[in-house]
Amino acid sequence: MITSLFVKITGYVGDFFLEFEHEFNTSGITVLYGPNGSGKSTIISVLSGFINHLETKIILNDKSIENTKIFPPHKRPFGTMFQNPILFEHMSVNQNLDYPIKRNKSLDQTLLSKEELIHYLELGSMLNRYPQNLSGGEKLRVALARTILKQSDYLLLDEPMSDLDIKTKARLLNFLKMINKKFKIPILYVSHSIEEISQIADEIILIKNGKKIISGSVSKILNSNSFQRLIGKFESSSVLEGTLIKTNQLMNMTTLDVNGQSLIVPGRPGLENNIVRVRIRSRDIIVSPVKINTHITENELVGIIIKIYTEKNTAFSELVIKLMKSKIKKTSQILRARITTYNLNKMKITENKKVFIYISSVSIDRQAYQY
Amino acid sequence: MDTLNFSSSDFNAVLITLKLALTTCFFLALIGTPLAYFLAFKSKRAKPFLESIVTLPLVLPPTVIGFYLIVFFSPDTPLGKFFILLTGEQLIFSFYGLVLASIIYSLPFWVQPLQSSLEKIGNDTLKTSESLGASKFDTFINVIVPLSKKGFLTSFIISFAHTMGEFGIVLMVGGGIHGKTKVIAISIYDHVEQLSFGKAHFLAGGMLILSFIILLTLFYSNKRSMVKVK
Repeated sequence: MITSLFVKITGYVGDFFLEFEHEFNTSGITVLYGPNGSGKSTIISVLSGFINHLETKIILNDKSIENTKIFPPHKRPFGTMFQNPILFEHMSVNQNLDYPIKRNKSLDQTLLSKEELIHYLELGSMLNRYPQNLSGGEKLRVALARTILKQSDYLLLDEPMSDLDIKTKARLLNFLKMINKKFKIPILYVSHSIEEISQIADEIILIKNGKKIISGSVSKILNSNSFQRLIGKFESSSVLEGTLIKTNQLMNMTTLDVNGQSLIVPGRPGLENNIVRVRIRSRDIIVSPVKINTHITENELVGIIIKIYTEKNTAFSELVIKLMKSKIKKTSQILRARITTYNLNKMKITENKKVFIYISSVSIDRQAYQY
Repeated sequence: MDTLNFSSSDFNAVLITLKLALTTCFFLALIGTPLAYFLAFKSKRAKPFLESIVTLPLVLPPTVIGFYLIVFFSPDTPLGKFFILLTGEQLIFSFYGLVLASIIYSLPFWVQPLQSSLEKIGNDTLKTSESLGASKFDTFINVIVPLSKKGFLTSFIISFAHTMGEFGIVLMVGGGIHGKTKVIAISIYDHVEQLSFGKAHFLAGGMLILSFIILLTLFYSNKRSMVKVK
């Protein structure tokens, strides 16, 4: 069982200086997000014990485990899955799954059994097959099961799903969330896909050029300025969290409760009372100072402008809008809208002003939550 | 022309040749395998240097190697003295002198096929195994060896055949002593010198057929494993 994990890494990696320090969550899914070449994989390699030339501190439950002589990779308490996971070609799927089990002296059968994993990841029909005859998605599922079967204290997954199609990816992300909750295995998930992180993350660590920029809860990070700067204007977006109220089966539409206001999204993203996250692009939002009384969109939300960023050399302004607080929920969520400065001036919108927000359900990406 | 016959001295030469080839392969497995592993996975800066040394016997004339070995094996050198201390015999013109020379001469034939086969496995496979709880040794036995079976087979067959076929160095270092260091290649040479073409035919033909069968086995097994992967 893991109670605390502190990591500090400093040193040169290629041509940049890595400076990373973090007290990790010991439950939930932490996403390490950053552009390519920002040092994400290096951090995973250091934790797994494959890089030892950097100045490192890894303290797990008050015990230092950074020394690769005393704690070589095979004695580390991490279950690592690298980019492009590798199965042992000379072993059947079943033998691959047994590989970590045979090598774990303190295996806890009650924690999570091989049979359970085979069931959840639907590996039953391929146990006697060899890796050469598996598809990419099947290989990944086997590799994931094998890594989990090591029963490590912490799972480290280094962009394992970058090559998968959306449907398979969505299923596996869902599976990871389930594994994380059900078996209480904390996960560090490396990714540079916003869709992925907005769905599975409980905590996000943002890194760029080897430096940690910011870390915190999903809503805090995804709506932060540093994150928006990192992903660029085109991808600028906000993530709203809502409780699923009901699904209209006939129309195939679902109503969410977001801060006491309703948001209608296409499809069926979950069951009643589930918490659903929806990502909305800033440029898909229409803002108006007055209520528009025609049904131009499915969704009308109310909020207050808390900040306006007018860009100097472009035609655009970015509005940070706080949704009106609900009576029950005290915390209010943030929405970002991107409109032209021309229209901003025409509408005479200023900070601290109440605005109506119109979002077409069509613009809500189904892939953003359907998994 | 004399008749085809097989003298006891030829029989001895065949035995010595087989014994030499097997012993050499045994030591090559012990020395060449870690070297190939090191070259494939560990070395970065030292790699070009080490590879050059391992490949040297491939490009040097056998006489050059033979000459230096005679120099190093002579009873005046530390190595020569040590061997006399150990066995009471001179290293030069002895069977173990031949073995030592063959190890050096055949080293590239063991290291190179194995190294390229190991490199195909790649570092990521090793990392995967270690991160799943297997030590380096465990990984070597249970992942690397099974995955590079073909490499080991190729290394063994080529080194074996190559050791059987060497001539220049064994003549210089071993001296072609009857029943001791006289291998098939030298016997053939002697027969030809004495114009006993029949005896030469017998041994040469045997070598030809054996070498062909060895290579056929090798290429056949390579082809078969390629088909299997497809």
